[in-house]
Amino acid sequence: MATDTDSGYIDGFGQVSRTTGTIFRYLLLAATMFGIVTLAVLLVYVANDAIRPLTADLGWHLTFFLTLVVPTAVVGGYLARRNVPALKLGGMVVGMLAVSLLFSGGVAIVFVDIIPPLTGLSYVVGLLVPAALVVVLTKYEQQIPFTLRVAATGAAFVLSLVGVPGYFHSIPEIVRQLPVVPADWMILTLVLGGVAAVVVGQYVARIREDTTAGLAAGASALLLTGLAAVVGPALGVDANAAAVVTSVAFVPTVAYAGGAAVTRERERIGLLLAAVVIGGSLVGAAAVDALGFAGPQSWVDWQFLTSAHSGSAENAGLYPAIGGSILLMATVAALSFPLGVGAAVYLEEYAPDNAFTRFIDVNISNLAGVPSVVYGLLGLGVFVTYLGQPTGTVIIGGATLALLILPIVIISSREAIRSVPSDMRQASYGMGATRWQTVKNVVLPEAFPGILTGTILALGRAIGETAPLIMIGAPNVLFTLPTELTSKVSAMPLQVYAWSSLFASEDFYTKAVPAGVVVLLAVLLAMNSIAIVLRNKFESGN
Amino acid sequence: MSTDDLETDLTRNTENAPRELLTRSFFFLCAALSVVTTLSIVGLLITEASKFFTLTASLMGVTGETASIVDFLTGTTWQIHSQEFGVLALVSATLMVTIGSAVIALPLGVATAIYLSEYASAQARSVLKPALEILAGVPTVVYGFFALIYITPALEVVFPDIGTFNMLSASIVVGIMIIPMVASISEDAMSAVPDELRQAGYGMGATKFDVSTGIVVPAALSGIFSSFILAISRAIGETMAVTVAAGAQAKFLNPLNPASYLEGALPMTAAMVQLLTGDITGGGLAYRSLFAIGLVLFVITLIMNVISDYVSRRYREAY
Repeated sequence: MATDTDSGYIDGFGQVSRTTGTIFRYLLLAATMFGIVTLAVLLVYVANDAIRPLTADLGWHLTFFLTLVVPTAVVGGYLARRNVPALKLGGMVVGMLAVSLLFSGGVAIVFVDIIPPLTGLSYVVGLLVPAALVVVLTKYEQQIPFTLRVAATGAAFVLSLVGVPGYFHSIPEIVRQLPVVPADWMILTLVLGGVAAVVVGQYVARIREDTTAGLAAGASALLLTGLAAVVGPALGVDANAAAVVTSVAFVPTVAYAGGAAVTRERERIGLLLAAVVIGGSLVGAAAVDALGFAGPQSWVDWQFLTSAHSGSAENAGLYPAIGGSILLMATVAALSFPLGVGAAVYLEEYAPDNAFTRFIDVNISNLAGVPSVVYGLLGLGVFVTYLGQPTGTVIIGGATLALLILPIVIISSREAIRSVPSDMRQASYGMGATRWQTVKNVVLPEAFPGILTGTILALGRAIGETAPLIMIGAPNVLFTLPTELTSKVSAMPLQVYAWSSLFASEDFYTKAVPAGVVVLLAVLLAMNSIAIVLRNKFESGN
Repeated sequence: MSTDDLETDLTRNTENAPRELLTRSFFFLCAALSVVTTLSIVGLLITEASKFFTLTASLMGVTGETASIVDFLTGTTWQIHSQEFGVLALVSATLMVTIGSAVIALPLGVATAIYLSEYASAQARSVLKPALEILAGVPTVVYGFFALIYITPALEVVFPDIGTFNMLSASIVVGIMIIPMVASISEDAMSAVPDELRQAGYGMGATKFDVSTGIVVPAALSGIFSSFILAISRAIGETMAVTVAAGAQAKFLNPLNPASYLEGALPMTAAMVQLLTGDITGGGLAYRSLFAIGLVLFVITLIMNVISDYVSRRYREAY
């Protein structure tokens, strides 16, 4: 930081002109703002084209102004002056609800449309069996040699998930052939509600320091999900959708807000903000419905989100591209996270200081600067031409994008690992721990939030990439959701590109493309806000 | 380092236990994957590109490869259908985007860095820095759409004969996209300038303006220069924004003539996308030409990254 001088003192000489300095300062500020303001203007334009707020009735705007904007401004203004931490808590709850609602949409696409619930359940059961074996083996860690345990675990996974063709079925096959299978919503309640129950239960048990409270919270989370699935259809909501949205969005938000209300007495007033925003939206929606005011004729509507490409811009939709982007991100995360963290651990914890290590080091920073289109060529040349894979599939796209973001994941993971104090490592070694035990029990848990933040930001980069997908031959137009790793895949930015270049027309430019851009940016914003919240929590924690 | 030796000593007895071996090998393989990636990129580009040169050579009735490499590198016409592969037509367009975006991003980026490091309050910095990061986070295809739909019509008011596809709008969005890269690396270099130098300046009666431009910027010059090279390398490799905004017609334009920025042309990266958007089957001449362009692109960006690395290390002022 620069040390500021007391300019009044300099003025005392009566010789130094401040004009140049002042002009320079404002020129710098203008230069700093140039890019930000330009992008802000462009974003306003595209949002206006996509959402078209001006097509709504005046009464619609007025109603929401009165029910949502005014109360939020009043409560927010009060909190901003009296209690800023409470304002942050309120904003956090509102943001969490918005982001989790967005993600529950994605989860619904994956667990209802892409993977039929029964198939999903069969794989969950298939994974539970070897997982249980791992737990049992860990208990007898001392008695059984390590190599035997690895072999047994590997065999259990293979037998359970693949089976032995001709001799006995894999567990997923057995589950799918059961004579009586539960309804889809029951499966979703069990699996997703179960996951939500475990997470919420542990969270409550931790903040209340009370296992019974945790169990109760977990049980009520599961019950709430089941209840939503049962009551949903009566209110006109699909049972599957109700189960997904409740378990992914409502239960975690309620748990977080409830936890804050109990443990953070000084800040819980901030929940009023969340209540006002949510209540105001609901009251406003009911009011415009009752009064008959028409909302904006947005291009980002249910039809756009749930239908496929069409020759006319009004009927075109983003659904297969959204599903494709989700599958691609899952593949990219599954590949790049372990590989990237593994490389970072090697370079920070294991690597000897020799020429090869330095070569890897230089090599990774150079890979980070290779243009994305060249990675696309790599995918095309290696996976398609040399390995003979079909073009444009989920697995090839995911592998190519994973290679693309791997250097970024490695670099950010290394930073996170480096920030773990070496005292902690030495304490671990002093207790007689081996390198792997130190990495597993000390380094990785400490560095995990930083690693996660870096990985999410890298995934944000991957979700906006178009060029590598074009290179590996992903189709420009796809009418169905990809359902397997070997299906053809589209992605949101690819669809935006196809509309803005191959279907170039005034119609697409003003309707489908802005809508697609807004959806893509909303997803990016959600991912980045998660990363920023994690980073702030991580930094304040240290 | 001594702690490393200590850790090695402490773990020597266990380092060959099966579990330690297994985990260490796994981590090593992860790190080695990056080397495999680089080798595959280099190997693939070279083999496929050399096949391209052999093919074009035989097509043109030239014996030997050298003639067609020369044609490839010096030809100014890029026409797939008439099998003319002069990469200069593409390189000139890439050069235009690079020059155009550099004219925008380099001064703005350095100014931003000076403001953030010397003038902005801590609070202003905590708002401005994430806002600048957003500029680099917007997907490039979105920038291309912005250039085509919003910026070109706005430019049409000033330049009535601007084409629907033009290098100017593409340069502007690529410039905006790389501002954060220049700004953040330059700012790191400026923040690393020790306060003593600034205080010495103030002690001599210098104003803040004198200190910023006369002391901080010169002291941080190697970092600023390396940020320039990295940003330019990023602009060269930028694909989707130029594909959407710059046009689809390969044309040899003079990058130093301002009027040619109002026309559209086909940068290297856009040419690669265009080659694949058509029907390409593996093994064809067009397919191979992809790798030839890719090789040129890869070599240029690699050289720039190496130079930037060298400059920032070689000319860094040690304080």
